[in-house]
Amino acid sequence: PSIRPSLPLRLVSTTPLAPGEQRPLASPDPPENPVDFEFSGGSSEMSDTDEHHFESKADSGASKTYPQQAGAIRKGGHIVIKARPCKVVEVSTSKTGKHGHAKCHFVAIDIFNGKKLEDIVPSSHNCDVPHVDRQDYQLIDITDDGYVSLLTESGNTKDDLKLPTDDVLLGQIKTGFADGKDLILSVMSAMGEEQICAVKEIGGG
Amino acid sequence: MHILSAVILWIEPPNVIAESIRNGGSESEFIDGCHVLLSVASLTSSSLFDNLLKSIRQYGTINLLSALTSEAVKSVLDNQNEEETWGSDALDILLETWNVILGEACADKSPMSADGALAASNLFKIIVESHLKAAADSAFEDSDDAEYFHVSVSKRDEQLALYALIARAAADTTIPFLEQLFSERFARLSQQRDVENDPTRTLEELYWLLLITSHVLTDSGEGETLLIPEALQAGFTNVVEVAQHPVVTLSWSIINFSRQCLDPGIRGRYFSPRLMEAVIWFLARWVATYLVPLDVSREIDSVGRHGSQHSRKLLNSFAWDNNQGELVLDFVVLMSMVALTTYQGEIELQTLTCQKLLASVVRRKHTCAYVVQLDSWRDLTRAFASGRSLFSLSGRLQRSLAETLACAASCIKDPEASVQYLRDLMGPVAGCLVENASRSDLKSVAHQPDVIYMVCCLLERLRGAARATQPRTQKVLFEMGHTVMNSLLTLLEVYKNQSEVIYMILKFVVDFIDGQAVFLDGKETSVLMSFCLRLLQIYSSHNIGKVMLSLSSTLRSESQSEKYKDLRALLRLLTNICSKDLVGFLSDSNIEGSPDIAEVIYVGLDIVTPLISLDLLKYPKLSRDYFVLMSHLLEVYPEKVAHLNRDAFGRITGSLEFGLRNQDGDVVERCLTAVNALASYHFKERLGGRGGLGSQVMESEGSNGKLQESISSHFLRLLLQLLLFEDFRMELAGSAADALLPLLFCEQELYQRLVHELLEKEQNPTVKSRLALAFHNLTSSNNLSSTLDRPNRQKFRKNLRVFLGEVSGFMQIK
Repeated sequence: PSIRPSLPLRLVSTTPLAPGEQRPLASPDPPENPVDFEFSGGSSEMSDTDEHHFESKADSGASKTYPQQAGAIRKGGHIVIKARPCKVVEVSTSKTGKHGHAKCHFVAIDIFNGKKLEDIVPSSHNCDVPHVDRQDYQLIDITDDGYVSLLTESGNTKDDLKLPTDDVLLGQIKTGFADGKDLILSVMSAMGEEQICAVKEIGGG
Repeated sequence: MHILSAVILWIEPPNVIAESIRNGGSESEFIDGCHVLLSVASLTSSSLFDNLLKSIRQYGTINLLSALTSEAVKSVLDNQNEEETWGSDALDILLETWNVILGEACADKSPMSADGALAASNLFKIIVESHLKAAADSAFEDSDDAEYFHVSVSKRDEQLALYALIARAAADTTIPFLEQLFSERFARLSQQRDVENDPTRTLEELYWLLLITSHVLTDSGEGETLLIPEALQAGFTNVVEVAQHPVVTLSWSIINFSRQCLDPGIRGRYFSPRLMEAVIWFLARWVATYLVPLDVSREIDSVGRHGSQHSRKLLNSFAWDNNQGELVLDFVVLMSMVALTTYQGEIELQTLTCQKLLASVVRRKHTCAYVVQLDSWRDLTRAFASGRSLFSLSGRLQRSLAETLACAASCIKDPEASVQYLRDLMGPVAGCLVENASRSDLKSVAHQPDVIYMVCCLLERLRGAARATQPRTQKVLFEMGHTVMNSLLTLLEVYKNQSEVIYMILKFVVDFIDGQAVFLDGKETSVLMSFCLRLLQIYSSHNIGKVMLSLSSTLRSESQSEKYKDLRALLRLLTNICSKDLVGFLSDSNIEGSPDIAEVIYVGLDIVTPLISLDLLKYPKLSRDYFVLMSHLLEVYPEKVAHLNRDAFGRITGSLEFGLRNQDGDVVERCLTAVNALASYHFKERLGGRGGLGSQVMESEGSNGKLQESISSHFLRLLLQLLLFEDFRMELAGSAADALLPLLFCEQELYQRLVHELLEKEQNPTVKSRLALAFHNLTSSNNLSSTLDRPNRQKFRKNLRVFLGEVSGFMQIK
């Protein structure tokens, strides 16, 4: 007996064609026989084949993970191990006995503190995949107690981030700022945690 | 003969000798004895070989060979530890000997003697029994990861194929023997159903049996028309009725057993992923071999109801009797569905299903044409198009599956039905992508992992379909691509920080162009070019103008490889866009709004050249892709490149300079081609009284600070330096000559001066005169003239080769 993963997607099957009927490919213009597929997002539209919806999680600060089958997670993807958001650096498969089922062995790096973590999961089981976001902000100020003041897209300021601990990065930010350069900081966020991960200079001339 | 009687003592009797080796005796004589057998076999025909021993023994050489091989097999499976390799060494030699003898027997059409066949039969039985025992013993060990490595799998396959040859030599006994073994184990499994016994041992035995049986019944051969093995076609002279033919009964026995996997209860109980893999592998080869196209089997004359001709005919047609062939194909589709949907996470199994089983059905017109009409096939395509179960397959598999399913369209005879099939298959995929891209709240949901995953799956599927482009399906697939073009641009914008998605978009476009380029008409080309231009512009706007100062250490290394992947895809994209197929249309067409090909190139190069650092060019694949593009562009559009702005042009020539010293000979060759293109263009322009590359200069460090010199003089110096003073590969001499010739013509004065300087520096008078002569011959031998036509170029190539041969002796020393 195998396990079916629950994908929070809803795909409705096409209505069968009458013989001789032709359906054109969905084009940018409104199609004659609209193909009935949707990612039903924030709207609360229910249809007769009500299965799983997924909602826009943009505003809910809480659960920022999504279940995905272990076998589908590849090197370079993300995974939650021991409640930490990580980036997968190695995946290998083995079996529980020759005639057992496959399992995946993940080696991953915590995206915030760089620690190496490992996990072994049956390939058909679901793992949690963290939602990792990257946003760019313009640097406005660096406070004396080591916080940065950033300009958001909406024009407000974001003041709750500390300077990064990575030496090279820190140095570039400090010197760049002191030299009066226009700096853009990339902030990586996942599972409620945030960190500055890159600095760019608004380019030349 | 003499040799044989001399070494006979080393290898006889085999079991005694083997025992003594195990007890510490030396194995070298034994191995040498085996070598002798192999050598003798290579020199004689098989019957002669067999008869050799008969002059000094009661039995033939083949009997001895058989006994030796048994011993070797037993040693390998029973007693060998890692250090003792004599068993497997001996086995390799002995199997090769069999290979030689049986190969000859086939070619001579002289069947083996009766006792030879008996010896082969006995040997095969021992082989199978030994391996079965080993399989059962190892059933509870953890499977070696090494098993999936290509090297060990292909070595295993080689060995099994040699065993199979032995089996076929005595097929009338070995095939029934195999069937017996299968029946025993099938019975064991169904009895165990009622008792809670662990079937693992039996499963492992069945696994091995399926592998060896598949090798016996079929040959391997990717993409070739698989024929039923000749030994089997000719080997059953006594069979009259179909139902008595051992190959037939064995085949149906296995296939009927396999059908049980469709029952969920039984499947769960003993169709382990590993067993399924073996079954699928067996079926793929069986279907490709025994479902013989009707027109082929009809050609085989059936002469009477007896004899080998009758058996041959029988074997080539039995599979289609009583609709059985159709039922098998239906079963194959159903089984594939089961493998893909209920064996979650079993990647090897699912890959085999898609790339071996389904592919083997779809690749052959006669089976494909039948399969596409089946209900089961329709269920599969429907599940793919609109179901969700297949979304859990890995991305690469979805791509593969899309390609396989799309390929089937070419086998649908009615053109309209074929088009509709593809629309039904890929329409929903394209539609889904378009729907998502047009969501008003796209920005807020786009970065959720599930949305990213979905988008990537859709892109993989589009890629798969693009790869299946064929003349009959080209227009529909272009339609598919056209449908998603705007959406791709939207996604490119939204996912600008998500390199995985960007990469996949680029790869789709590369594959799309690759498949479509040779078929497009003027209008389609124009549409495609406009799209590519927009694509490049958007990509460019995200990547230029922001100089990355620093990244945290965890991001640093991955950013490099991300840039690398992106870039490779981009390079391939540009190369495809600039392919001669597409270009031909654009330069001729008068279509409104058609983008100037030059513009596309400029934008492309504008993006690529700043991103390519010398650092990145150290990656071999990337540098090869880059230089392929460069040399291509310079060959086809030297005038466009010549008019790039100074910075861009400077970067290109800088990279050529770097490339000329590359380790990879292929890269150097391309750079030489590029230099040739530039120089030839310059020469021709000047000849016509125009400026050519005159406005472009190269800067280099001179003794008094920065020097500026023309392109041609710079490369002339560089090339001479490479040829005379650095390691130069002779196989590149032709390309070097092609580059050097136009440079010489452009810079005659400089050339004379350089040669003069070189000669002056030379102290040794003999060397000096030889050098002077060589240079003289370089430019005057063979009536070299001052043109760049083909005959003249050929002359110069000859001259250069002679020149290099002459001077290599004394120039390299410096």
